[in-house]
Amino acid sequence: MDHLMTGFMDVLNPGTILWVAAGVTLGYILGAIPGLGKATGVAVAIPLTFYLTPVAALGMLIGIAKGSAAGSAVSAILLNTPGEPSSAPTALDGYPLARQGKAQKALKMGLFASVIGDFVSTLILILLAAPLARYALLIGPVELCAILLFSLTFIGGLSGGSLTKGLIAAALGVFFATIGLETETFIPRLTFGLLELEDGISLVPMAIGMLAVAEMINQAGNMKALDRETSAISDSAAHEDRVITRVEWRRSLPVIARGTLIGSVIGILPGLGASVASFLSYGATKNASKTPEKYGTGMIEGVAAAESADNAVVPSSLVPLFALGIPGSVIAALLISAFVLHGLTPGPLMFQQQPRLVAAVYASMILASFIMLIIGYTCQRLFAQIIKVPLRLIIPGVLFLCCVGAYMETGSIFSIYVMLFFALIGFFSRKLDFSFVTFLIGFVIGPNLEFTFRQSIQLLGSDITNLKHHPISIVFIVLTLATAWWTGRSNSRKAVVK
Amino acid sequence: MTVTTRRNILGAAVAMTIGCTGLMPEAVAADYPAKPITMLVGYGAGGQTDLVARATARVMSADLGVPINVVNKPGAGGAVAASELEKSANDGYTLLFHSNSVVNSAPFIMKQVSFTPESFEYAGMITAYQVGLATQKDSPFSTLSEFVIWARENPGSSYGALSPEARLYIQEIAKKEGLDINIVPLKGGAGMMNALLGRQVVLAFSGGIHYRNPDELKTIASTTTFRHPSAPDARTIEEEGYPLGMDSRTTLFLPKGTDRAILDRLSAALKMAASDEEFKTFTASANIPIMYLDVDEAYKEMSATYTKHKGIMEAAGLTAQ
Amino acid sequence: MRRANIVSGIMLALFGLVMLFAVIPWQIETAPPGFVSPRLVPNITMVVVVVLALLLVIANWRAPVNGDDAENASPIARVELMALLRIGAIFALSIALFRWVSSLAAGASLMVVTLLTLGERRPLPLVAIPAAILLATWFLFYKVIGTEIL
Repeated sequence: MDHLMTGFMDVLNPGTILWVAAGVTLGYILGAIPGLGKATGVAVAIPLTFYLTPVAALGMLIGIAKGSAAGSAVSAILLNTPGEPSSAPTALDGYPLARQGKAQKALKMGLFASVIGDFVSTLILILLAAPLARYALLIGPVELCAILLFSLTFIGGLSGGSLTKGLIAAALGVFFATIGLETETFIPRLTFGLLELEDGISLVPMAIGMLAVAEMINQAGNMKALDRETSAISDSAAHEDRVITRVEWRRSLPVIARGTLIGSVIGILPGLGASVASFLSYGATKNASKTPEKYGTGMIEGVAAAESADNAVVPSSLVPLFALGIPGSVIAALLISAFVLHGLTPGPLMFQQQPRLVAAVYASMILASFIMLIIGYTCQRLFAQIIKVPLRLIIPGVLFLCCVGAYMETGSIFSIYVMLFFALIGFFSRKLDFSFVTFLIGFVIGPNLEFTFRQSIQLLGSDITNLKHHPISIVFIVLTLATAWWTGRSNSRKAVVK
Repeated sequence: MTVTTRRNILGAAVAMTIGCTGLMPEAVAADYPAKPITMLVGYGAGGQTDLVARATARVMSADLGVPINVVNKPGAGGAVAASELEKSANDGYTLLFHSNSVVNSAPFIMKQVSFTPESFEYAGMITAYQVGLATQKDSPFSTLSEFVIWARENPGSSYGALSPEARLYIQEIAKKEGLDINIVPLKGGAGMMNALLGRQVVLAFSGGIHYRNPDELKTIASTTTFRHPSAPDARTIEEEGYPLGMDSRTTLFLPKGTDRAILDRLSAALKMAASDEEFKTFTASANIPIMYLDVDEAYKEMSATYTKHKGIMEAAGLTAQ
Repeated sequence: MRRANIVSGIMLALFGLVMLFAVIPWQIETAPPGFVSPRLVPNITMVVVVVLALLLVIANWRAPVNGDDAENASPIARVELMALLRIGAIFALSIALFRWVSSLAAGASLMVVTLLTLGERRPLPLVAIPAAILLATWFLFYKVIGTEIL
């Protein structure tokens, strides 16, 4: 605690506050621009870590990480082009809200849910990093495999229309994730001799293609109708459409609490990540609701569920890094860079070697939460104006930024081809009602699912009865079967032909 | 790819100009470097090798007096970046900072990779990777020979491997000693740390990242030919009687045919980095030992390790996939 | 949607079969003994796709026909298909420019031609929007951040 006070003293000076604020702003704006996002933030951050003082560099990095996670909700809500798969569930209800003229309401809820999820998760990191990381170690490959299987089935089931189509999309996602060098034998799979495919299809250009480019093509096709809508409704003048009412707060707070919990837990576990968290939270909220059929038409709780979980992942994914020295996420890997550049070994030693710097990191994380609130609140009014701009002026710029974002990931035009290929798949899956989101989730967790499956085969000595030593995984296998049965049954009640 | 084509054309144009005016390459080398240098890195931004590259580039740039732009071209363990370098002009303005494993190990593991020491020129090496076998601090064994005795008494134990080389070590040891060990595949440094700290495996092959947690993890043997500066008491695998030591170092690669004067100039700048105070603090906290080699030593190291690794991997029956 | 479901189901089943019997054996080698086969998971996913796709076809085939237009109508409108083709052509042009002319020309053409295609005819937006975005991108990456992205 004493250290935390000193840490605050180190952070609360105009210079450091300025860098944290700069990081949050840059992250928020990059996140809000379709096509750019966390990957761009990473590129931004690396050179900076060399030139700033440790506290300023770390504060700025954390600011970028938090800002871009919150900012990606903006493009999801306003343009239906989530910057990352983890913001895709935000778009499910946020975009309909924006089309109804309630853009500001949705943006505000997205921001508040983000800040609350982020802040609570930060507190968890500060207070409980060490014991939690210990518990997370109990989750070995066998347990993780079962958890992943459960997540995939659960998310596949909530894709809407048809469970069959949802599962086909998920299986295809896992299939595309197997492309590249197989991690155990280093045998190339489905690479057709292309070196560029050896490390697999990279997520950033793929996600940009499926989420943003495909959506832009779709909107270009329906531009006339959409523009007519825009001129008819634009931003609603009614006050209650621009703010969150007391009733909505009462409905959304439990949802945010659940989202934060889901996000914090998933952030600590290895290999799950923000997209699983936000989808699980969205799905859990939809399932718990009395009116699940209304989700996807503009339910404010949907935005709250997705954003709170998405943002809670950022701080909690640092828990394994601080407590054990394990980099659990891209941001964690970046922070390691910043730490070692300034002569600090990431891991448990930090607390003994440099308690003051660790405290400063904590303090700047809390500070970043507050700055995020201020900047997000100031910007949302401005961002909301985007909805009034005719689409023909927006689409060209978005397409260009998508190319920039995809190209930056690998610095090769091959990424653009990947982006276009998946834009095509994304376009047809939208039209034929195969959930592209389930496809993406399958792709994101596919490698881990396969890998933990192989690890489990080795760890169990190819003997399924050894599962009795892994009670956690048994629980999740049962949950998976129950989910499949339950969604399958409720699906078959609906008419097959929709 | 466009970039390379353009560079190739540019390279051809430069070569032609030189040919026409009868300008000797030395004249070009004399005012080298005259413009910004592009430094390719074969791993993604933010990784250990990338960090060393950027820290090195900073010192070298100050010494050379021109900016060095670090460009990440990740893919296939560096083979994508190395292929790009191969196609670049050999004027010294495009270089690759990468582990020499892309030449001395990758060709024996990946079929698509067919580099030999003759594929490139080398302007020196700067840091080494501390690869070794790591276990929990409270393990009943502290050396490789103790592990062999323990594993014989406890058949079916789990070993974590994150690459074909990592499998090779345990397979060779198990074959020689007649041990029964399950090989659990692991992914990357983070997966390895998780498996060790979570006690899913009793022993794991580590790229050096386990030194971040010295309170809970220890090294029982280094799989390099030298003892790790971070664990000077742990014996090397060769001292333990297995001739399997394989070294990898971060190396400055240049396209084939680059002028020797340019290599020497770059090597001098690299030496500056090796003795730079800030660079030392940084590598010390990342547990990366500095082991500088100049141009001649780098060539020698490259062909020696290539031959040695080839022998080890072929003897172990590892075939490129 | 009924007809679209049947068609896409057949296509997916065919895709799965081609992968299972041609592409996977051709593109994935078998592993040395002692490893889990690298073909295992790709094969599992393709079997799942084939089975589920056939289920989709059968379920829609057997579903009662009620004869309204909705079930035979294409889910993709003509204008949407045209948009896809147009934007595809724009990307092809920009990639060609990127490879053989310059990245700047590619970026500018991507935006200007898209603007024209989407019906923008006023000269000011045609020049100002691409110029502003290109300038902002350049300023952000080369000036603020100092990273060369090309």
